[in-house]
Amino acid sequence: MKTITIDPITRLEGHGKISIFLDGKGDVENAYLQIPELRGFERFAQGRRAEDMPQITSRICGVCPVAHHFASTKALDAAFNVDPPSAAKKLRELMYCGYFIYDHILHFYYLGGPDFVVGPDAPAAKRNVLGVIEKAGVDIGKEVIKHRAYGQKITAILGGKATHPVCGLPGGVSKGLNKDEVKDIEKMTKSCIEFAKFSLKLFGDIVLANKGYVDLILSDPYQLKTYNMGLVDKNNKVNFYDGKIRVTDQQGKEKVKFDVKDYTKHVAEHVEEWTYIKFPYLKSIGWNGMTDGKDSGIYRVGPLGRLNAAEGMATPLADKEYKKMFETLGGKAVNSTLAFHWARLIELLYATERAMELIKDPEITSTKIRNPVGKPGEGIGVTEAARGTLIHHYKLDKNGLIDKANLIVATTNNSGAINMSIRDAAKGIIKKGKVNDGLLNMVEMAFRAYDPCFACATHTLPGGMPLEVNIYNSERKLYKTLRQNV
Amino acid sequence: MKTIILGVGNQILGDDGVGIHVVNALKEKIQSPDITIEEAVTGGMNLLELLLGYDKAIIVDAVKTENGVNGEVKRIPLGNFSTMHSCNPHDVSLIEAIEMAKKMGEERIPKEIIVIGVLMKEIPCEFGEKLSSKIAAAVPKAVDMTLSELGKNLSKNNLT
Repeated sequence: MKTITIDPITRLEGHGKISIFLDGKGDVENAYLQIPELRGFERFAQGRRAEDMPQITSRICGVCPVAHHFASTKALDAAFNVDPPSAAKKLRELMYCGYFIYDHILHFYYLGGPDFVVGPDAPAAKRNVLGVIEKAGVDIGKEVIKHRAYGQKITAILGGKATHPVCGLPGGVSKGLNKDEVKDIEKMTKSCIEFAKFSLKLFGDIVLANKGYVDLILSDPYQLKTYNMGLVDKNNKVNFYDGKIRVTDQQGKEKVKFDVKDYTKHVAEHVEEWTYIKFPYLKSIGWNGMTDGKDSGIYRVGPLGRLNAAEGMATPLADKEYKKMFETLGGKAVNSTLAFHWARLIELLYATERAMELIKDPEITSTKIRNPVGKPGEGIGVTEAARGTLIHHYKLDKNGLIDKANLIVATTNNSGAINMSIRDAAKGIIKKGKVNDGLLNMVEMAFRAYDPCFACATHTLPGGMPLEVNIYNSERKLYKTLRQNV
Repeated sequence: MKTIILGVGNQILGDDGVGIHVVNALKEKIQSPDITIEEAVTGGMNLLELLLGYDKAIIVDAVKTENGVNGEVKRIPLGNFSTMHSCNPHDVSLIEAIEMAKKMGEERIPKEIIVIGVLMKEIPCEFGEKLSSKIAAAVPKAVDMTLSELGKNLSKNNLT
């Protein structure tokens, strides 16, 4: 491949802007997704009171406030050298389940699911949640809204506020649960379990029963043989809130398992000159460009990454579904990008079952929810955001003010893989310079599966999911542009 | 008539947070049991849920346009947006959310939804709490426009 050094599009960060480079024959050589990276966080954080970080970082992203809130709170636990009481950990995890419930429901029914439920060939105007409801029925729509709201309500009861939680403190949480709240959460959770089961059945009936869809899932453009990463508990089962970071290889075998405090020993970040986004990779393997396979240190996180990196789910129904997925898709590891959607629903079921275990735990109403903090120092915290592993790393000065702060967010962990998935989808559809109109759809499906979160929180005009694909010929001259909603 | 004024944006992302700055200023000016003033660092579905049950909603937000003058303030009825999205792929647009809610028989959607938009060419991607000078100058304009939007619903004794 020719190296691109100076390029007209260098550092042109935009929402969903994709550049595709063709070779001399007009076939795809490479493709890059450019997403806006928020800058200046370290400087912004410096000198602030450490205990403000869970509130500040929950505002970084309108999508994952809960994940940032707890990655930050856990970094503070470590920085203040305090282990929260077991009841506080359970309350945090319960709240975390609420977040997964609403987040995964939103993604499946509103964002990723329409491609499958309505069909990848359906016109763009139909591939949305209204199309899903047209196909599945209005009653389903009501259930979707209801259960998404339940997830949010569970989060709000525990977090104190609907969108931006205020409960996480170093050493514990600020608020426990009373008996009425327990009853309320239990009732909602029970309903959520049924809804998660239903969602998997819907996926089975509409997607898995259709050979065309299964073939699409297993088709070449959507295969990527990377390493996988996710948090696991002591039995190597998926955990969203706590545990060790486990990395498995392309056959599902453990490559390494480590404590988050050692992440810098295992993960490095590669920098490309055309983007501010960094590309994390496994140090022991090394950076080998935008390639997959065992010699490339690129790994994937998120629902499929987590399921691949674990040996099962810690709750019975989800574990059954876990086994079914791997059996259906040919064993470990599942390398099909579109299987992210299936994995997401299995995680939804796990989140509901785990929430039920936690709410029924007698300790959940305990009032011992905070331990006193020690002296300020350095701390690293990790959680699984809905879209993948999220790490907060702070260094505090002797007064408990932030001296240094670094975040590795989920979408960054996936950045190498997302670029390759887009490239491969484009390869499948651009041949000898001929660009098919289905390109935007295929490319969008490739990166939607990761549920990437392009940091930004405002409204822009005009709207819709903005996507611009610029195709450059072998002389790096703009050859064609395809746009939607730009 | 129950009205909600929502400042939308992210106050740790410079100019993006202008809507929050505007509602903070409004909080000091308005005291009325019929008017709710809130911040919302959110979009789409969550935004809709905050609006439900009010007769009228006024959304104050940064609006990115191709041709607009930085710092210009415009009153835009929601119907005039062909689509409006919350600028991240993990959500639906407010308009999509409203359409869906209507289809589900939701009856609590405000009859009137007005956007007071502070126009800007670029939404910042750098952390900071301060507004740029042009956008800061737009805050009083947006405050006045919101007050006149409230107009007849606001008697003099509601203003402090």
